[in-house]
Amino acid sequence: MRQTTLSVALEVKPESQVKLSALIDRLHDNGSAASAGGPGDYAWFMRGVPSVHFLSMSMFPGADYDPLFVLEANFDGAPGIFWGQLEAAIGIDLRNMLRCCKRPLDPCGPLYDAVTAPDSRAPVAPYMEARSLEPSVYHHGNRGMTRDRILAESDLFRATRTEIATANGTGPSPYRGAVTPADIHHHLRSALLPAFPWLAERAPARIPFFTRCGDYLKVAVFALLVVLALALPGLILAPLMPDKRFFLLLAFGLIYTGIRLYMIREPLPGTDTAGTFNLITALFKPQTLVLILVGAILYAVLAPLITITISIMTGLPLELARQHAPRITLFGLLSVPFSVLLILCWLRYLERRDSSQDEPPIDEEMVRQMAQREDWIPQNHMGSVVLIKPGVLRTIIVRAGHHGLGLVLRAMPNSGVRGYLGSMRTVHFAHWAFVNNGSRLMFFSNFDQSWESYLDDFIEKAHVGLTLAWGCGVGFPATRFLIQDGASHGRKFKGWARHSMAVSRFWYSAYSDLTVDQVERNNRIANGLRKPSLTNKEASAWINDL
Amino acid sequence: MSVLSSTEVLRPGPTGLKRLLMQGVMAAMPFAFRLLRRLKPIPRFGKTYVVTLYDDVREVFATDPAFGVTYKEKLDIIMGGEPFFLGMGDTPQYRADTAAMRKVVRPADLPLLAAKVEAQAEAIVAGAGGRIEVVDMLVRRVTFDFLADYFGVPAPPGGDLRVWGTRLFEYQFVASDAPLLAEVAEIAPALRDHIQRQIEARRAAPGKVDDVLARCLKLQKAGEPGFSDAQIRTALMGFIVGGPPQPPMVVPQAMEQLLRRPDALRGAQAAARAGDVVLLAGYVREAMRFDPLAPGLPRVVLKDWTVAQGTRHQRTIPAGSTVLAAFASAMRDGRRVPDPERFDPCRLPHEYIHFGYDLHQCFGIHINNATLHLMLKPLLKRENLRRAPGAAGKLRKNGAFAESLTVEFD
Repeated sequence: MRQTTLSVALEVKPESQVKLSALIDRLHDNGSAASAGGPGDYAWFMRGVPSVHFLSMSMFPGADYDPLFVLEANFDGAPGIFWGQLEAAIGIDLRNMLRCCKRPLDPCGPLYDAVTAPDSRAPVAPYMEARSLEPSVYHHGNRGMTRDRILAESDLFRATRTEIATANGTGPSPYRGAVTPADIHHHLRSALLPAFPWLAERAPARIPFFTRCGDYLKVAVFALLVVLALALPGLILAPLMPDKRFFLLLAFGLIYTGIRLYMIREPLPGTDTAGTFNLITALFKPQTLVLILVGAILYAVLAPLITITISIMTGLPLELARQHAPRITLFGLLSVPFSVLLILCWLRYLERRDSSQDEPPIDEEMVRQMAQREDWIPQNHMGSVVLIKPGVLRTIIVRAGHHGLGLVLRAMPNSGVRGYLGSMRTVHFAHWAFVNNGSRLMFFSNFDQSWESYLDDFIEKAHVGLTLAWGCGVGFPATRFLIQDGASHGRKFKGWARHSMAVSRFWYSAYSDLTVDQVERNNRIANGLRKPSLTNKEASAWINDL
Repeated sequence: MSVLSSTEVLRPGPTGLKRLLMQGVMAAMPFAFRLLRRLKPIPRFGKTYVVTLYDDVREVFATDPAFGVTYKEKLDIIMGGEPFFLGMGDTPQYRADTAAMRKVVRPADLPLLAAKVEAQAEAIVAGAGGRIEVVDMLVRRVTFDFLADYFGVPAPPGGDLRVWGTRLFEYQFVASDAPLLAEVAEIAPALRDHIQRQIEARRAAPGKVDDVLARCLKLQKAGEPGFSDAQIRTALMGFIVGGPPQPPMVVPQAMEQLLRRPDALRGAQAAARAGDVVLLAGYVREAMRFDPLAPGLPRVVLKDWTVAQGTRHQRTIPAGSTVLAAFASAMRDGRRVPDPERFDPCRLPHEYIHFGYDLHQCFGIHINNATLHLMLKPLLKRENLRRAPGAAGKLRKNGAFAESLTVEFD
């Protein structure tokens, strides 16, 4: 089943921010029975909104903008169904919260008026739907696992433990001694089948074949568009100048940008993190080369389209345009390295003049409130909003970078399929989204273990992607070539991340005691038990999860 | 023969081409609603606007200051001019009258009512000899019997409460033709007199019966406001007219929908046999979604109002128009109801609008929720439940009313 991540970010009337906080806190207190800071049991919410995996409500104060109220949700199925469920569960609270927010000046204004008018009975869901933000990058851990399936397989896991511990009472355990792994599988399946009849059914595909094909196709199209954009200098210049002049210009451009880049390649004093990763090795990684090749092939296939474009733009007859098309296409492709070098020069020029904040001010009271709500259960939640650095290049790169990163994360075998974020195995759901008309970047994550260890994980294992996604933030630790250094500045990065965070006033997790790894483990156990029999070899591998 | 002594619950329905045409229209309605939801969610037909989307239907039901109920005029004829809360807006009198009735129609009654319904349905099915007509022989009989007992309104001397109640219901909610009006002119005062006589007889000899009438009289004696003779009579009239005629419409329709879906029928039978009444209720409620009581409920527009304001399909409806809140369409709106064409007995409560929504939600919703599925439970428990051969085995409708559906079992 499709999983959706979205958020709604609404500006708050400054005079209503205390009231809004109180409303969110009341909702939190209404559900929280287990602990002061955790999500409690929220049984009513669990029943009323059965599609939700994680949901949070936060309010971000800020010196540059009025406060921002953000509802972030990760759920199964289509948004319309989710909003309908949420309205049925907390529609009255939502309406009161919306009344604390500002009337939007865009075409959503009349909808806001209808929903927030005194004694309004208009449904809230259409407004929330209209204001929903698509994430610019997102990651779904345990991808393709619906909430119901996660819960059912968790119950199964518990039942396996009980069965193994108590089978045959005080007599000899059928799971110990001289039994083969295949026998253990057989015994366990027979014992659990009556209580879990779904074990007799075939497991639904976590990621349907066509979805997977779609993931790859989107990456391929993205690669094509990148190549096409980088080929623009050649495509534009080719019709304007003869071959010799073009090659001379290209050679000059390559040499000049190459030298410039070489001259400014080094990190600025104090910003080098001595990481082994650099952009050149990244560019020549097999996966990157394959991507570039796919993009180039697709680009070549575009020759007929280029013919038509030439014909339309120059007024040449189609036949004549067809004769010129291969040349123009080739020149476009030849200009790709120049474009890359030019962009890197420009980028490096900007990076060398960026300001990074060494000690961002941190509101002690805010940190206390955050700390009060963290580490009650194996999972935690964070939300952050940062300003984005200005400039045309940054604007294009951050958007294209986010889009590409999102598509690649989806297609990569070790994140898109297995449900992990590369080598990080602690992220349930995470996403970035642009707010305030693209001037701020919002990040939300639902993760396992403590905030400190989560950030350490990022710094150690995913600093490249993190720097690419977050490096556009004002005050972010100094970056080099978009993906180097940046998040590798551990202490500075943590300080920067903490100062951009706000208290997660309402946070709900549908399976608060399960880690990403445990969900996958439960899934492997369930998949094994669904099979009527296993060979000894298969069972030996399967049994490791019990 | 006077309608007062008639035993024909339903008036003769249309025949021939007209009947076929009506059946065709009813059969095409889900498809038409689907088209409307996609292309023109709030179409206008003359002075009537049809609201088809889930959000908009709930908005119309919830916005009683702009969308008033249309029942008062006919209720006045039925009740002899006495006000009944079904015909009121959100007034203090509405609040007081409904609050008064909630003192005598209590949640604690539900288990006993459920047990009665199941026992009576079981007795009828057990005595049916393997073949039963569901509408009249089972559901109508059970419904009128247990509700008449509960309200404290027995059959009128020489008359049949099923006939009286159903004709008044038809007049109140379905038709307005002259012959029906003439019948109502006889039945309504007769039923008022009958109930008034019951009130007086009970007051004279209270007995030990604990029914709604007895509770009303007890509160009347205690001086509780809201329990004058006229108020008690009107409320009981309202309950008889608005309550028991409905299950014989919708429960057989649910049975028909289950018979059309072998998997769902098997599921419902398994739930019935296992005694899982919550799941069984889910099956019946879901079956009703595919053929609910009516396509929609009318509301009169009291002031110009923009439905779905701020959305692309917003429409301003002028005062004086009629709005049909098509809850049948709303319950199949895929924007809010997940996978609406799938039969799912475990849907969430908010996905159903069988009993209206907000102010004028059916007063008997809890009784319905507690009992409707139990009328079918004994039948579903039987082995080899199947349609009777021929036309008898298919649900026959007479206008808005289910007329007959015969099933067989081993």
